[in-house]
Amino acid sequence: MQAQTDLLWVEKYRPKKIDDITGNDEAKALFLEWLKNKRHTKKAVLLYGPPGVGKTALVLSASRELGFSVIEMNASDTRSEKAINAIAKPATSYKALDNFTENAKVSGNVLFLDEVDGIAGNEDRGGVNAILKIIEASLVPIIMAANDPDIEKLRPLKKECLLIRFQQVRIPLIIALLQKICLLEHITAEFEALERIAQNSKGDVRSAINDLQSLSEENHRLSLQDTMMLTSRNKDISMDETLRRYFSTQNIAETSTMLAFSSVDYDDFLLSISDNLPKRYTDLTELAKAYDYISHADLFRGRIGTENWHLLKYFYNALAEASAVNPQSYKPFTFVTPPIRIITLFWTKGKRTMLDTICGKIGAQCHVSHKTAKHDFVPYIRAILQKKPKSPLVVWFKFTPEEVDFLTKMSRY
Amino acid sequence: MTIVLNGKGFKLPRVEKEKFVNLIHLGLDYDRNAGLFSIKSYNNIEKVIDAVSDILKDDVVFLQSCIRCGKDFSCRGCNYIDLCTTKNLPFSCVCSQCLKDRKNFETYLTQF
Repeated sequence: MQAQTDLLWVEKYRPKKIDDITGNDEAKALFLEWLKNKRHTKKAVLLYGPPGVGKTALVLSASRELGFSVIEMNASDTRSEKAINAIAKPATSYKALDNFTENAKVSGNVLFLDEVDGIAGNEDRGGVNAILKIIEASLVPIIMAANDPDIEKLRPLKKECLLIRFQQVRIPLIIALLQKICLLEHITAEFEALERIAQNSKGDVRSAINDLQSLSEENHRLSLQDTMMLTSRNKDISMDETLRRYFSTQNIAETSTMLAFSSVDYDDFLLSISDNLPKRYTDLTELAKAYDYISHADLFRGRIGTENWHLLKYFYNALAEASAVNPQSYKPFTFVTPPIRIITLFWTKGKRTMLDTICGKIGAQCHVSHKTAKHDFVPYIRAILQKKPKSPLVVWFKFTPEEVDFLTKMSRY
Repeated sequence: MTIVLNGKGFKLPRVEKEKFVNLIHLGLDYDRNAGLFSIKSYNNIEKVIDAVSDILKDDVVFLQSCIRCGKDFSCRGCNYIDLCTTKNLPFSCVCSQCLKDRKNFETYLTQF
């Protein structure tokens, strides 16, 4: 088991009891009232509000205190109709066997769907409808959490739920929490330093605790001067600047610190590093080693998802190691940014849309999926049209002249 | 002039049916015996303030309650008011005296 001292403070001080959750007392009271007494009037509840304000923490701590077992599906799981039915249906169709044990504290199951606003795309197809059906038939309380409840696809869900809004946690409350952590960690902190961390967090308790840990863990002392570094976070360092600092680094520790204070998008940053590594390392052995570290970073990024932020340090470490394979060989170079993959997607959007329309027309006439049309039909139709542009196929598929032109000139599909 | 209200219970002049229904719809509760309105749901709290201001024909602010000393206090004089997204709304907070009072803080911690 991981030692307590080795833990991230956000994990160490994750609320165990409902009273430990900072702020949003009104939302907490409403949620508890629903979970204790009113869940028969509305079977589902949607907690919504900005990140880091205690939505997930409230669900977990309240369930623990009231004796519910939480069956959780979060954004890292695929939440298609099939996946939701496979997990949520059994969980909500039967009352827990624990109800019949002598343990009086067991109240049954709750289904918790975190970040429901993240249900999107082909992978999660049918997810919202599946949730609606489950709410209708459920025997257990269903709890959902979202950052943005105003998106179109959540509209049907909102009608079936009790809505509870969470607000940004107020600065004095964050300062009070930081004071408490300082006392427990034996840190002597200037009030103004805590004030600055709280202001910088913009109501996000999680980021405030992370800032406090990164600034004070080593010295057990925190002054206003130490928090000056936080200013850079608000300045929103550009990708170019972060890359410049990353590639010119002299050691792993320096890169780790820089990454911890950077606010660039992790996925874009990972792609940008991959694109630029061949310019940084001309020696093939060094390049291979660096890519090996990047592949580890990519692995951790996947495992982090949107939940497991305690793995972030491993992601940073792997990135930092890739930057310091041979610090002496650094020579300034012009960065490739934004990432090639993103540029390619941007430039080919028109072409992809055109191909999609063509596949749709083929699919409608031949009763096949877009995928089959793309892989099994397009190559042959293209070959036919290249030889005979006025083939009867054009009329049959109802292709426009632009589509015929696109098909005959396309180089790959 | 600004009218200061306490979200736990406040009086309003008699309003017509439509306005009363709107207030209840926005999340207020009405205690017939005491004749007091209180806030039941905070989802539309900004709209509640607008509706109440419209009835009272004046600006309205709500008192905050301190989680440490339990007193109700106003946002006026708070150092962080410009950064606060919930200023003047009736939520729990920490009053400026409690925030800087170390002794009070340690007493508060002993409750846990």
